[in-house]
Amino acid sequence: MEDYDLERLTVLVVEDSLFIRSLIVSSLKLLGVGQVIPKEHGGEAIELLKLISIDPMLAGVQNIDVVFSNWEMRPVDGMMLLRWIRRHKESPDRFVPFVMMTAYSDKDRVAKARDMGVTEFVYKPFTVKALAERMQAIIERPRQFVHTRTYFGPDRRRQQLFFDYEERRELTDKSPGVEIIYG
Amino acid sequence: MANARNSSGKKPPTIVRYYRFKNRLKEKTLGLGGGTGAVSDEALRRAQEALESMAEDYPDWVNGLVTELANYHGRCVDTPERRHEIFAEIHSIAHDMQGQGGTFGYPLISSFAESLHSFTVPTKNEITDNMIELVKAHIDAMRAVIRGRVSGDGGKIGAELQGSLNEAIERYKNRTTEDVAEQTYDYAFQQTPRE
Repeated sequence: MEDYDLERLTVLVVEDSLFIRSLIVSSLKLLGVGQVIPKEHGGEAIELLKLISIDPMLAGVQNIDVVFSNWEMRPVDGMMLLRWIRRHKESPDRFVPFVMMTAYSDKDRVAKARDMGVTEFVYKPFTVKALAERMQAIIERPRQFVHTRTYFGPDRRRQQLFFDYEERRELTDKSPGVEIIYG
Repeated sequence: MANARNSSGKKPPTIVRYYRFKNRLKEKTLGLGGGTGAVSDEALRRAQEALESMAEDYPDWVNGLVTELANYHGRCVDTPERRHEIFAEIHSIAHDMQGQGGTFGYPLISSFAESLHSFTVPTKNEITDNMIELVKAHIDAMRAVIRGRVSGDGGKIGAELQGSLNEAIERYKNRTTEDVAEQTYDYAFQQTPRE
């Protein structure tokens, strides 16, 4: 393997603070990302994603490989954007890796975003190294997607661990009612 | 697709679907031949340098936000009937600031913003004059940091600024005094490094 060549990637950055937005955009470009598309809030991002679904030529971009989004924005915040991407029928890619950037790190909020299908978090204040590490995790360790009655998103179990408590996941790949889709 | 059928031969309803896709991002990003399978050190170094250079502009940027806060403070004083609405704006700016300062080497700004953010959480209760004064104490402490370019933890001055704010908030919570905020403001101001 060699160092990642991020030149072919297109990353969407959604952040309402101009200063922070330009910081993230320039950091990602310097890390080698070929195309970085900045948007000011979730609503603008959704407009772009809709356009990609309908007319990628007009949108000027074929697809988005990774989304970096702030949480707290108005009028459409990061959670609403994540929900739209994961659940809306007009979403061009419901599986796109989604990195939530936030100053919130309390357990309830983290769980809320995780249950909405977030892929990674970057906690503010952030470092360039943190951005690079999240990119690396997304490329190196993608997780299967899980779709149940109540959840759609990356597998919330990141690792195979030996638990010292009762296994709550009752189904295996071969259980009735389990469908596996390869692609 | 691995899917068992029950004894009647009918496919049971799907309870869970697992999607297992080829790692297209990896295919897209891996070059040819040896390497570490990581973002290159060189790219990381360049990005870090750019961040540091942007950090030099940060005090000017944040100064604009503090001016905005000061304007909102003024409106709290002038239009007490709109305090709840104005507090929401202050809360929102404080949230942004708490996520920024540390990135640019000014953790004290983040810390003060965090305090201001927690202190301006939306409430149905009355927003008193003392609370408005405490907002001002936060603004002045932030100004002291910016004016003195107090980066890092700010050493003794930083600790004193931080301490005075914490003390004011604690005292405010425990009893309603008329002059806590003003004392704190004066104290913070006295600690301002002179240029």
